[in-house]
Amino acid sequence: MGETWFFHIDLDAFYASVEQYDNPSLKGKPVIVGGATSNRGVVSACSYEARTYGVHSALPIFKARELCPHGIYLPGRMKRYQRVSEHIMSIFSEFSPTMQQISIDEAFLDMSGTECLWGPVEQTAIRLQDAVKQESGLTASIGIASNKYIAKMASDRNKPNGICFVPQGEEYLFISEQPLNKIWGIGKKGIENLNRHHIHTVENLRSFTLPYLKRVFGDSTGSFYFQAVRGQDPGFFSTTAKSRSVSNEITLEADTVDKEQLRGLIHQLAHHVMFRLLKEGLIATTVGIKYRLSNFSTFSAQYTPNKPIYSAEEIFAYVWELFIERWDGASAIRLIGVSINSVQKRDQPMQEELFYDDYKRKHTVEKTVLKLRSKGNKIMKASDLLNTDHSLQRKKD
Amino acid sequence: MKFTSAKNSLLKEIMIAQDIIASRNALSILSNVLIETANNLLTIKATDLNVGFETQIPVDTIDPGSTTIYCDKLLGILRSLPDGEIEVEQLDDKVVIRPLFQKIDFRLRSITSEKYPEMRVCDDQLYFSITSNDFISMIDQTIFSVSDDSTRYFLNGVYMENGGDGLVMVATDGRRLSYMNRIIEQEIPTFKPIIIPPKFLGLIKKLSSREGIIELAIHDNYIFAKFDSHKISSTLIDGQFPNYKRVIPEKQNFQCIIDKDMFYDALKRVSLLVDQKSKRLFIDIDIESLTLSSEESDIGKAKEEIPCEFFGEKTRIAVNSMYVVNPLKVMPGEKISISFSEANRAISIAPYPEKDFFHIVMPMQLD
Repeated sequence: MGETWFFHIDLDAFYASVEQYDNPSLKGKPVIVGGATSNRGVVSACSYEARTYGVHSALPIFKARELCPHGIYLPGRMKRYQRVSEHIMSIFSEFSPTMQQISIDEAFLDMSGTECLWGPVEQTAIRLQDAVKQESGLTASIGIASNKYIAKMASDRNKPNGICFVPQGEEYLFISEQPLNKIWGIGKKGIENLNRHHIHTVENLRSFTLPYLKRVFGDSTGSFYFQAVRGQDPGFFSTTAKSRSVSNEITLEADTVDKEQLRGLIHQLAHHVMFRLLKEGLIATTVGIKYRLSNFSTFSAQYTPNKPIYSAEEIFAYVWELFIERWDGASAIRLIGVSINSVQKRDQPMQEELFYDDYKRKHTVEKTVLKLRSKGNKIMKASDLLNTDHSLQRKKD
Repeated sequence: MKFTSAKNSLLKEIMIAQDIIASRNALSILSNVLIETANNLLTIKATDLNVGFETQIPVDTIDPGSTTIYCDKLLGILRSLPDGEIEVEQLDDKVVIRPLFQKIDFRLRSITSEKYPEMRVCDDQLYFSITSNDFISMIDQTIFSVSDDSTRYFLNGVYMENGGDGLVMVATDGRRLSYMNRIIEQEIPTFKPIIIPPKFLGLIKKLSSREGIIELAIHDNYIFAKFDSHKISSTLIDGQFPNYKRVIPEKQNFQCIIDKDMFYDALKRVSLLVDQKSKRLFIDIDIESLTLSSEESDIGKAKEEIPCEFFGEKTRIAVNSMYVVNPLKVMPGEKISISFSEANRAISIAPYPEKDFFHIVMPMQLD
């Protein structure tokens, strides 16, 4: 048996790099994707040149403009990025039969046992970087380790275009060198909480027993901390995970209280997420709404009907109801988003319905629309245009 | 207001009152139960604004009067007291509850009964009677099929219509359906089909002795029931029940007859190992034998074969095990039939020989 090796491959400044590749005049310049038309929303991605100004992803655009007023702000072309991503993922999968894509620009490769075929894993990583560079013009950073968790953190270590190799048995050492805030899975809130308990370093955290951590931080967080600081994989990226979530949100051009406009947007978002689901052969079991008011207070809510959700119209109906029940109708809305959670693979046994209901019919229509769209047709369902009311007014008690 | 009563008879009614009161929030008068005594009777009223409940028990009235108190705590107190006679008395704004001859003293703050919502009443002439046992049997055979998906609120109740010479009740959650058409000896007035909340029907089922008659009235989007010393009313569900007749198979090609208890026992055993989420159970029907099996999982699998009467091609059907367990639990009789045409079309579960009810289950995908 060979050794177990995982690659975590992260494309460097993905969206911005695609823009620079497609338009070589942008090379070497601070490119910021997101907020081309206004000062609203957040940075989706930025080139390394922009990062030297302190710009980073998820930074509000108006702040980015303060830090980097001469940056090149682009609107973002999701379709193009998606296509590039699909192409690059296909390159990855040539290196290992077991690829797990975890986002548009990241993936894990199980490289165990590939040494006989490809030689030492570090050299394979270099070859993989070359292949990506050659075929797409982009650079990737790779973390190599005996588990996915360490590999994920390692890929961040020598960015951009870097390789970080953590030899077997040195996971413990690798983790020890990390500041607490670089431990994957410990966020800002987590750090605050740890600091409150006077824990400031990995060493500190490691000095506590598992029962103690569980008592103080709760069962799951406690055991996560315990495993993470010992370089063991806490199972974040386990492939057996049955659920995924798909979401989409928009920051509005201007804050609004216009119910019809919001209805239209939610309708659009519902269709968008549904088409992504159909494309991946998934079905939704839980829907969610998120909205942010102009004072930045954010609300979200979820609903799990007791049957799977077949169509975008149904997602819309549920989400609209969630929204209308919560929103006061007067506070201006800045951002609105729709999410779908607990998505099961379609191959789960499906319960047939007695009443072949409208939603199932709509599902068939949507599937057909998707097929046509994927062939490049710009087709829209009539209800996309009409904003019809999908009478699900629940009787108020 | 002052009266004495046997603790247990009061406790029994207060338990029902608390069932009806939905909110356990002490701040609202709706969390209170109304008690009123006069002429050696105690009237108890509770409501959640949808369902109203009223009942009477005999007590010794000392001072007639009425008040409302927090039902949840009253129930707790009654449960905790030893058996025997208790005295209930209004003193200023508090109600004193104390067992006779004992040094126990509870005082609950009360709210005047004038603030309590009026109970809905219905003209006596609108009531019609039906044999209790008939009505309860109909509830038994249908109520479990009601949907709890609040976005399909029109399925959140039992549909009832005048069937000509009797009553028809139907309940469905969109994947299974229960139907009963009972011939009623009494005269039933014509009424527009209604959808009755399960809370109302459940309450009747719980309170009725199944003996004698029950009086019903349907008026103005409300339903009323009177039986024994109870009065119950409820709002009806306002919505369009789907055309259930469309999904009842007119003719099914195959029928398999089995011993009900044997099937039910086997079902309970095999259900232990069906997938927790999908609850998929396989039924293989062959000449002279019916096999129930779960799918292989990490935990294991189960399989059981029982004899049956069947003439036809070997057929495999997958169903949600709950959809078979639920009706089997309430079906009377020794034998049942499972009728079907194809593995992916609705199956019917009915008593054999036929009676006035049946259940329809939509199968699951086989693979």
